[in-house]
Amino acid sequence: MKNVRIWFKKDKECRFISHLDLNRVMLRTVYRAKLPIWYTEGFNPHPFITFPLPLSLGFRGEAECMDVRFLDENFDLSTVADIMNPFLPEGIRVYGATESKMKPGDIAFAKFSARLYSDTLSARELKTELCELMLLDECLVPKKTKSGIKDIDVSQYIKLIEIIPDTDDLEITVTLPAGSANNVNIQLLFTAFENYLKSDVYYEITRHGVFDKEMCPFE
Amino acid sequence: MYPKEVEKILLKVQKPGKYTGGELNAVIKDKKDVDLRFAFCFPDTYEVGMSHLGMKILYSQFNSVPYIWCERCFAPWIDMEEQMIKHNIPLYALESGDPLSEFDFIGFTLQYELSYTNVLNMMKLGGVPLLSKDRNELKNIVVAGGACASNPEPIADFIDIFFIGEGEEVDLEVMELFRECRKNGETKEEFLIKAAQIKGVYVPALYETEYNEDGTIKAFIPTKGAPDKIEKRVIMDMDNSFFPESFVVPNVEIVHDRAVSEIFRGCIRGCRFCQAGFMNRPVREKSIDTINEQCYKLCKNTGYDEVSLTSLSSSDYSQIVPLLTKLNEWTDEEKVSLSLPSLRVDGFTDDIMSRIKTVRKSGLTFAPEAGTQRLRDAINKNVREDELLETCATAFNGGWTNIKLYFMTGLPTETDEDLEGIANLGQAVVNTFYRCENRAKGRGVNVTCSASPFIPKPFTPFQWEAQDGIEEIKRKQMVVKSAIKTKKITFNYHDAATTYIEGVFARGDRKLCKVMLKACEKGFHFDGWSDCFSAEKWLELFAECGIDPDFYTTRKRSFDEILPWDFIDYGVNKSFLKSECLKAYESTTTPNCREKCSGCGAAKYGGGVCYEKCKNMV
Repeated sequence: MKNVRIWFKKDKECRFISHLDLNRVMLRTVYRAKLPIWYTEGFNPHPFITFPLPLSLGFRGEAECMDVRFLDENFDLSTVADIMNPFLPEGIRVYGATESKMKPGDIAFAKFSARLYSDTLSARELKTELCELMLLDECLVPKKTKSGIKDIDVSQYIKLIEIIPDTDDLEITVTLPAGSANNVNIQLLFTAFENYLKSDVYYEITRHGVFDKEMCPFE
Repeated sequence: MYPKEVEKILLKVQKPGKYTGGELNAVIKDKKDVDLRFAFCFPDTYEVGMSHLGMKILYSQFNSVPYIWCERCFAPWIDMEEQMIKHNIPLYALESGDPLSEFDFIGFTLQYELSYTNVLNMMKLGGVPLLSKDRNELKNIVVAGGACASNPEPIADFIDIFFIGEGEEVDLEVMELFRECRKNGETKEEFLIKAAQIKGVYVPALYETEYNEDGTIKAFIPTKGAPDKIEKRVIMDMDNSFFPESFVVPNVEIVHDRAVSEIFRGCIRGCRFCQAGFMNRPVREKSIDTINEQCYKLCKNTGYDEVSLTSLSSSDYSQIVPLLTKLNEWTDEEKVSLSLPSLRVDGFTDDIMSRIKTVRKSGLTFAPEAGTQRLRDAINKNVREDELLETCATAFNGGWTNIKLYFMTGLPTETDEDLEGIANLGQAVVNTFYRCENRAKGRGVNVTCSASPFIPKPFTPFQWEAQDGIEEIKRKQMVVKSAIKTKKITFNYHDAATTYIEGVFARGDRKLCKVMLKACEKGFHFDGWSDCFSAEKWLELFAECGIDPDFYTTRKRSFDEILPWDFIDYGVNKSFLKSECLKAYESTTTPNCREKCSGCGAAKYGGGVCYEKCKNMV
């Protein structure tokens, strides 16, 4: 048995599939593609798949991954993309499969970019406002947790935002803590921004990849 | 595809994947390459509509014609509707993202009466004028079909064409006619007059209704050469009828998220309350080989690992065990599970059970429909108590611990004794569990008894009967409830007011169109959902329109009254329905179609179960 990490992009209409639904899409695909994958051995056998770091609904994913176990150790992993893609909706494209080198628990950071726009403010105005927000020493946003809604301070993460110069809309990049231990949802930063502006901001978020604590790409 | 401006609202609604399209097997064509664009609308949510087999069949069939592009459209849930109105986004079809108003045809499937408000609301959201007479051009032709087209009158003012019976053939004939009429520069009226000559087509605008003083119908008059009887369309050769090899596979979870194969149409039983059983006569089966091939291809093309063998009563398939055996040849190996919905009490045998065992052991549902043998005889539900208990014992010994039993209240000839019988039957099933030696150890039994108030439907022997009023429905539910003495029985019952309003439209006439129009103006939608339904609002509306809803529900019709749907011919003679009704009063049963032909009239279609015996004799 070989642990394999299948790499894919999630875009277009499929950005709006939730993680649970993505799981179902992938189950159907590996079943239909007849990949030599290990099935669970309970009452309802199904292909065993896991996702090291789920992607939030609405995000574009540039380098997403899914873990499976191959029964055939000699299976040519370079063929996986071509086998799976015909069975996937347009918005999900598999681009590779590699033997897993790191554990999901090794994930420590995720890199995002985002485009922000508003009905009322121009890109230039949004930029100015964001720069001012980044100077604040405290910035509380309500976060839903298991024990209810808590206010958390996201100012330290807002300071990490880099504004990409010379763009029509406001475009930013940011690398945030990620993984099972300490995960910061980028949307909290934008909620903070909306609260600061007291108006709606629309955003389009792309996750470019995940990294371990040394900032090496997750493999 | 979704329109660009939708993007920013998608993250503000629940399950945005319902509004984006982009599913596997969705058909994308270039609008420049097609002559005719059809928006197939399901007047309910994506999850419900995407589960509907009829839509899958017709979607594939339309798109198999090069000059037609058929797209899907569903009712947006209330959060999405609110956002769309706020941002001025018209209701769009999922493949192109174009608003409904850009389509040549806007087709609705009518599966239940309470979805009518959604039909109108979708037209409104899509920018399509509601009334047929306000749509004057040869575009935005609004068509409708499905079970509720059996009584089209309550929405006759809004729909240009109703398809009566099975859609596979008639739809395409009408499309072809439209294409020709447009090429020749004809008007919408000219097109409709020609369309009315096609068998199975009803054009309400070509008919006039006169009423008696008491509100009943005096005369129903065809004009402009339209036929006075509309005969249903029916597909006789099921093996060669169109069936899709692939379904659009939704990205978000839907209600019936599995492959579906239709194993036959119609039902041999003739339960007297059941509209589907009379409308879809005669029974026509697909062969084992056809079903096997269709199931295999569907699993291959969709990736589903579950196939549902659907029909009105799947265990009545004449060769059910050989069929399951054949399917098991590949389903076991491919880890595909089979499910048989609509199992009859007398159809659940060890043999069948062992072959569908791979299915998740969620629960079994049977429908005795009535609590006593007398009433079951009156409704011609030929199920005996000992059969039911025996079947339950089979299930309990096979490890099942949950059984659901469906009943109806308010059936013709019913007494309180029959209602108490529901509780007694539930108790008998509980007792059976504890007598089963191989029952699941250490687990209790749960018997769920669900009782739905009966709504008399057109084209059934009970079409003349009175329906219970709201108070009477509630009283009967309490009779059943107080007769249940154990916690092992869960009693569920349906909302009385919802049933009552559904009953109004089930047997309504054209006078209700003004109510529908007002309902739409007032923003009624999703009346099949308790989230939105309001009985008070409906009753207010009826009062405002001067309509007495009791006229349609609690009034018993005489056998010689002209019923609003009398001009439609579903193949079963009215005289047969009447004799069945009279037999119900005597609690006399009628044998099923395989035992003995009772001469309902459906033999005129020249095939199916009516000729099975002759075939066997040769």
